[in-house]
Amino acid sequence: MSATSTATAPRRLDAIRAIAAKDFTAVRRSKGVVIPMLVVPFMLLVVLPLGVGLAARSAHPPDVSTMLRDLPGGLSKPILHLPARQRLVTLVDGYLIAPLFLIVPLMLAAVLAADAFAGEKERKTLEILLHQPVPDRDLFFAKLISAFLPAILISWVGFLCFAITVDVTAWPVTHHLLVPSKLWAVVIFWVAPAVAALGLGVMVRVSARATSTQEANQLGGAVILPLIFLAVGQSTGLLLVTLPVAIGIGAVVWLIALWLVVRGARRFTRDRMSRTI
Amino acid sequence: MDAAIHTEDLTLSFGTEKALDGLTFEVDAGEVVALLGPNGAGKTTTVRLLNGLLNPDGGSSRVLGLDPATDGHLVRGRTGVMTEQSGLDERLTARENVVFTARMRGLSATAAGKHADELLERFGIADRANHRVQGFSTGQRKRVALARALLHEPEILFLDEPTAGLDPEATRDVLDLLASLAAEHGRTVLLCTHFLGEAGRLCQRMAVLHRGRLRAFGRPDDLAARIWRGVPVELDLGAPADERTLAAIRNGRGVLTAASSPTGARIEVEERAAIPPLVATLVQMEVPVFGAVPRPPTVEEIYFAIQEGAE
Repeated sequence: MSATSTATAPRRLDAIRAIAAKDFTAVRRSKGVVIPMLVVPFMLLVVLPLGVGLAARSAHPPDVSTMLRDLPGGLSKPILHLPARQRLVTLVDGYLIAPLFLIVPLMLAAVLAADAFAGEKERKTLEILLHQPVPDRDLFFAKLISAFLPAILISWVGFLCFAITVDVTAWPVTHHLLVPSKLWAVVIFWVAPAVAALGLGVMVRVSARATSTQEANQLGGAVILPLIFLAVGQSTGLLLVTLPVAIGIGAVVWLIALWLVVRGARRFTRDRMSRTI
Repeated sequence: MDAAIHTEDLTLSFGTEKALDGLTFEVDAGEVVALLGPNGAGKTTTVRLLNGLLNPDGGSSRVLGLDPATDGHLVRGRTGVMTEQSGLDERLTARENVVFTARMRGLSATAAGKHADELLERFGIADRANHRVQGFSTGQRKRVALARALLHEPEILFLDEPTAGLDPEATRDVLDLLASLAAEHGRTVLLCTHFLGEAGRLCQRMAVLHRGRLRAFGRPDDLAARIWRGVPVELDLGAPADERTLAAIRNGRGVLTAASSPTGARIEVEERAAIPPLVATLVQMEVPVFGAVPRPPTVEEIYFAIQEGAE
């Protein structure tokens, strides 16, 4: 088949894959994007549990029983029943880091989406992309997955590092694996993707207005940061709630995220974008 | 000859500002047409409308028989575009940029790679194919962008300011490339530029835009005939013409105007046939005549005359 005839009927999946692969390659080569994307998960998922694990193994581990007694309702009961040496690691690694972990997919999705959408305008590459025979929806979908898939994959790799760090450092104290657990599984495979989709939904809207990645990140941060604080404040006990409640929380986040993404897709038209470049 | 591009009263506004106001013109298949005008005249907007990026507020257009407003992706499948900003991802190599576009256009990975290598070789950039675009000069970027625009052998090539930002040498190289491309396979080319020299060199017809309106469209000779009554002629007399000589020239049959120039006189005659008797008269007067060359107005002169009329 000649180049011309193939070009008139481009294979849509190939085009989507090509755009996503290009974005991934380009991001991988941007130190300004990669370093912040790796530093935050490293601090949160490796350095923090490592410090907590080492502190718990010290001769005089910090006493968290006073703090646990101040927690509302029955949140602290399962921990207070544990031997004193196990309370710190169980509280921090088993419970407190879970909502903090959700920052990782949220942040990664937001940074990658800003690069994929607003970054094209900033680099003056958007116009030539719009001149290609790729339908608007395919272009939008390609951009979406080029941010979503790496965000989820890096989050999962981060969780793997977290689980290894926690279990290796806490084993001498707990003598059993703290993570993974059923509820951590819900967080990783259900809530984290939902949160990443939420970050994407926000950034898609924001990037339509922004002219640069920095502007998109600033505008997106103004929306996402309060969400992070709300999530951390409200869901400290996420892993103490029952499995159905955790699934429910994920479902609510998914619904909001999908609503935002669908709205973003409707507004993602060549005509609208061409008027902003 | 079938029209590759046809627009009828094409209109588009950005807010309250009319970017394009009732554009009607036609480009034949295989023709090279220049779209001339200053920044903001509506040249880039025209290309975006013709390639289905923007939807018009009014009027219509057909590109290769298709309506870009409804069949945009089919139109884009058969056109190639080189934008003013080359639009290359600086984080990718030259080859990756071209292969990426080829893949988006439906070529297999193997075919895309092979095609990219051929085009980069042809445009003299093969030695830098695997270097990141970040370190490329503007001329090298233009070459890669041109390779990318041509990889699917488009029937229509839209070139938006192809030589913007280039030094004279790189401009000459790119123009040489464009001249050879325009001659290939009867390809239709719409060249948007405000560099008039390249329009004069490459194009058969020119369309002059001014604040979104088409002020003139046609062959440079025809446009000149509409602006000026006669044929300009450069008379080389070895020195500026004196009053006696100028008077004799002005009395010549078919001479419309005459003025002294550093090398003789610049005159305007009704038609070329007026030149031989005029030269004979001057020779009879023992005025040395080294040359009498009809000098059609340059694209620059035509363009500025049209723009001054539009003001």
